[in-house]
Amino acid sequence: MLQEYFKIAVKNLRTRQLRSWLTILGIVIGVFLIMSLLSLSQGLKNTVLQQLKAVGTDIVMIMPGSVSDIMTTLIGSVKLSEEDLNIIRKTPGVKIVIPSVYKGEIVKYQNESKTVILNGLDIRNALDVYIDDMGMKINTGGWAVPGKREVMVGSLVPTEIFPGMKINTLINIKGKQFEIVGILKSMGSKQDDSMLGMDLEIYRSVTGERQGAPQAVAKIAAGYSVEQVAKSIKANLENQAKRRAGRQGENSYSVFTSEAMSGIVGGIMGIIQVVVFAFGSIAVAVGGIGIMNTMYTSVRERTREIGILKAVGAKNSTIVLIFLIESGIIGLIGGLGGMIPGLGLAKLIQAFGQVHPIFYIEASVTPGIIIFGLLFSFGVGCLSGFFPARSAAKLKPVEALRRYE
Amino acid sequence: MPEPIIKLENVWKIYQFDKVELAVLKGVTLDINQGAFIVILGPSGSGKSTLLNMLGCLDLPSKGKVFLDGQDISRMSEDALAQARGQKIGFVFQQFNLLQNLNALENVMLPMIFQGRPEAERKKRAQSLLASLGLQDRVLHRPSELSGGEQQRIAIARALANNPEIIVADEPTGNLDSMTGQKIMEILIDLHKNERKTIVVVTHDPIIADYSNQVVHIKDGQII
Ligand SMILES: Nc1ncnc2c1ncn2[C@@H]1O[C@H](COP(=O)(O)OP(=O)(O)OP(=O)(O)O)[C@@H](O)[C@H]1O
Ligand SMILES: [Mg+2]
Repeated sequence: MLQEYFKIAVKNLRTRQLRSWLTILGIVIGVFLIMSLLSLSQGLKNTVLQQLKAVGTDIVMIMPGSVSDIMTTLIGSVKLSEEDLNIIRKTPGVKIVIPSVYKGEIVKYQNESKTVILNGLDIRNALDVYIDDMGMKINTGGWAVPGKREVMVGSLVPTEIFPGMKINTLINIKGKQFEIVGILKSMGSKQDDSMLGMDLEIYRSVTGERQGAPQAVAKIAAGYSVEQVAKSIKANLENQAKRRAGRQGENSYSVFTSEAMSGIVGGIMGIIQVVVFAFGSIAVAVGGIGIMNTMYTSVRERTREIGILKAVGAKNSTIVLIFLIESGIIGLIGGLGGMIPGLGLAKLIQAFGQVHPIFYIEASVTPGIIIFGLLFSFGVGCLSGFFPARSAAKLKPVEALRRYE
Repeated sequence: MPEPIIKLENVWKIYQFDKVELAVLKGVTLDINQGAFIVILGPSGSGKSTLLNMLGCLDLPSKGKVFLDGQDISRMSEDALAQARGQKIGFVFQQFNLLQNLNALENVMLPMIFQGRPEAERKKRAQSLLASLGLQDRVLHRPSELSGGEQQRIAIARALANNPEIIVADEPTGNLDSMTGQKIMEILIDLHKNERKTIVVVTHDPIIADYSNQVVHIKDGQII
């Protein structure tokens, strides 16, 4: 019989097409917002976590500033000084310290100029860390020789940024010629695969960033507890900062093991998703109120019809069901209508990011998100329809029949 | 003597307006026996429709009891009553009361849906009912595309859908011209004569009052 009620519900919706579509539009907008934002934030989370996972477990990350200012740290307004780097190097258990240095520069290849991220690599001392712990592997060619103006490019550079780029050709960075000596294998993330790597000394002289680093990575020697060494690094850095307090304001450092980092990033991304979802939900709730309004109007207009249905034997539950199906259909169609452009927009932003590698962001479109979106909008529809449906079912048959539209 | 299909026992209907009480039915006792053809007559506002709704179990009394097939309807759940009403009572209204967004066939099938009859059976019965009332060419028309007489015949087909024991009609010819009204009345008489249906009808039509074997006069909410 459900099928029959469904048919009746569809007929009712079609009788009031304009109103039905407008109500659906209300849901479309909300779901559109939720779906696009959710897909992008989920994608962002995946990308970042994936990047972190590639890092070995005996690696510790050091950033200036406390965890609460992690945003300012990521933006890079405070840096680790050369002195800081030395303190880390001297901490027992630290095998090697690698400053993470990168900067966007305009790079000219043949006649094309594009902004690419330059990455300074300590090839002289830490080549094995890059290879073993950070997953950097050569696909064709070889590594740059320390002290020479040579670069290795990420796997996407010759395919997407400078299509047709060949090894052993020249590239121009800030007016200086560099030779392309190697192409890297993909490291699994767009951002890493779009960079241009060069020896640290050369990087420092080309970019003019001669000292310090926004962050550093330390590899812990075998036999030491990563957790323990991370603690001593933090303690040493902060003790030193206290000693010279007053000279420079910053006296707090964040030291993370790669595991802790994944946890923190996962947490932040989780919060972003909750916020995104909350805002989207407000939009959907407005749509839901629209459904409720439409359904109440519909109950009022159809009072007489409800009376007829009851007279010919419809139970209260049948009336509720018919109205719930109507509002559920509105929700579901609205959900579908919002999801397709919403996920479309997310994919579009992803495509835009591929053209401009600095903006790289992935859109996550999983069956989970799709099913969630559809169930969510159907649920909102049913929920909004519930009270109007109940008020319809409560009508007494005589009174309903007496009323004229 | 068999038990009456519907039995009213000292039924009152009282409407409450703030402090004023308005008694529309004042202690009505009435048996509707199997095979009766009852006509209810009375001046406007005397409570005929109220009484008919009470007989059709569309309304519950303020005082007194209504029995449907021996069961006190005030003791039945709303759903059970709806189910019983759909099965045992067919309604014909002055305003036809067809669903405007359903065609003739769908309107007639509606009561059978609520009784859980399978689709094929519903369709077959609805078609044969419409055909027996001369509407075989109007099956797929919507009410708005039909004349008053045709609409009322569809309403009669709908009332017969679940093969009820009793047909309750409130001024079924009230919105029709006398010729068309005459035809509708002939259908009701035919249902009584040939299908042995029990019929209760509110009307001002003298011909039908003559045909009836039981005329109930009502005035100021009381049977006289
Ligand atoms: N829901 C209601 N609330 C208040 N008063 C009502 C209600 N329903 C009916 N009445 C009153 O009950 C009285 C009887 O109404 P009813 O419809 O039964 O009369 P009737 O005999 O069918 O009249 P008519 O021949 O004009 O159809 C009327 O005075 C009417 O105003
Ligand atoms: Mg009346």
